Amino acid sequence: MNFDWLYFWGALFTPSPRFLSGLALTVIISIVAMALALVLGLAIALLGRSRFLPFKLFASLYVWVIRGTPLLVQLVIIYTGFAAAGFFRFEDVDLFGALIRGAVQAAIVGLMLNESAYISEIVRSGLESVDSGQNEAALSLGMTPTQSMRKIIVPQAIRIMVPPLGNSFNGLMKATSILSIIGVAEMFQVGSTMSSATFKVFEVYAVVALYYLLLTTVWTLIQTAIENALNARAGLPPAESVMKRLFGLGGRRQIPSARAAQPVDAA
Amino acid sequence: MTLYTAPISVGDGPLVSAKGVSKFFGEKQILTDVDLEVERGEVVVLVGPSGAGKTTMLRTLNRLEAIDAGEITINGALIGQRRNKQGKLVDVSARTLARQRADIGFVFQHFNLFPHMTVLENITLAMTDVKGERKADAIAYAKELLDRVGLADKADVRTRSLSGGQQQRVAIARALAMRPALMLFDEPTSALDPEMVGEVLAVMKDLAEAGMTMLIVSHEMGFTREVADRVIVMDAGKIIETGPPAQVFTAPQHERTRQFLSKVL
Repeated sequence: MNFDWLYFWGALFTPSPRFLSGLALTVIISIVAMALALVLGLAIALLGRSRFLPFKLFASLYVWVIRGTPLLVQLVIIYTGFAAAGFFRFEDVDLFGALIRGAVQAAIVGLMLNESAYISEIVRSGLESVDSGQNEAALSLGMTPTQSMRKIIVPQAIRIMVPPLGNSFNGLMKATSILSIIGVAEMFQVGSTMSSATFKVFEVYAVVALYYLLLTTVWTLIQTAIENALNARAGLPPAESVMKRLFGLGGRRQIPSARAAQPVDAA
Repeated sequence: MTLYTAPISVGDGPLVSAKGVSKFFGEKQILTDVDLEVERGEVVVLVGPSGAGKTTMLRTLNRLEAIDAGEITINGALIGQRRNKQGKLVDVSARTLARQRADIGFVFQHFNLFPHMTVLENITLAMTDVKGERKADAIAYAKELLDRVGLADKADVRTRSLSGGQQQRVAIARALAMRPALMLFDEPTSALDPEMVGEVLAVMKDLAEAGMTMLIVSHEMGFTREVADRVIVMDAGKIIETGPPAQVFTAPQHERTRQFLSKVL
């Protein structure tokens, strides 16, 4: 086998500044796109719950179109297509002394739009998963629908939404690898430049893969911590352990349910 | 010691008055032209076969269900609606409806306690967030209520760890914390294991003896006979008979009442 171990270890443990800046860009784009997608996804979900028909229609149309087309195609349309048609061109801008390339802006917008459609569905199903009796109890106590949403529904829905939202973010980080198609110098693109310059194709992409694995593993740790914190606040046992998530190790988890809860004592 | 210390509602006329109430779920008519009154301090139990519309009727009284015809007043004021300049009934704002509901306690079959809060927080939430009471006052009154439903030691636990009977007693305390003028109970013991029914009914009996105005949907005929001032029998979306329990249970006027009672007594 022709595998240059020396090159591999070097690229893995002493990555070049270019590679590190690609890694940083991957992380930054992921976080910014996810944050914006959360806001937009929540807005789309709320539009979808509106009693005003045009809002409802817009929300379902949006989710239908965005989820029904590939991210790659969306990105190319937004960045290259819009510019070619003279419709809109993403220009490089200077934000507090940092140069934000047009392609990076297009990448963030594209990922945000794409992810928001999925997030709106997660938010919708999360809100719907809270038993309607919870809202009725809040209303019967004289809370307004807004108060009920804030104090009763959302705090319970968030705990349900975190695992699928976490998976979404995991997918988003990996999806950034296709940004190379519109010329964003993220980690994958830096890797492909390195591989064509050195012909160490396997070595380079093995390092790239390991760095993606590092990112998603770190995120799994963070997500587990968030779930545990939310469960503790709700008086529930901890979420599935990291060892179980990553390697399937450890015992089977007891899934608690509100209705089937065993009385501690029947005084 | 009485369970309920706030002043019982004063005023003229019946506390609850429903006139010509009709309600449809899609094509299906659930309530047909129902007239119902509850006097101040009166304890009324709604009975009847399942599907008769008892729960729906109860839920219209705090407008958890909107009605398609008729009008409902609580303490003389239309609930959830007002008359516009043309004299037509229109919906009030969510805020106004919320204010009206704050004076009407509602106890659900499945308790509907808030599982993300402690027992004490369940009770104090609406006191502070709806009525604007000071937190310390709310906690003090909530603890007093918990003591009276026999759950003083459960203030800081999660509702999930309570038995069904305990959860329902917390739910009653939560409703009472708003110092309501009227308490509505929707089959409060139907979801309970048999051995826990008694503890909930005991709390409700205390409340009735304290003079609370109560409207209860229940299948507990023994309790009804003992506590109710009046029984209302519903069937197929209509009230078919009403009277004191002794009269309705021993000498029912209506054939359907006789059939129903022969099954449950």
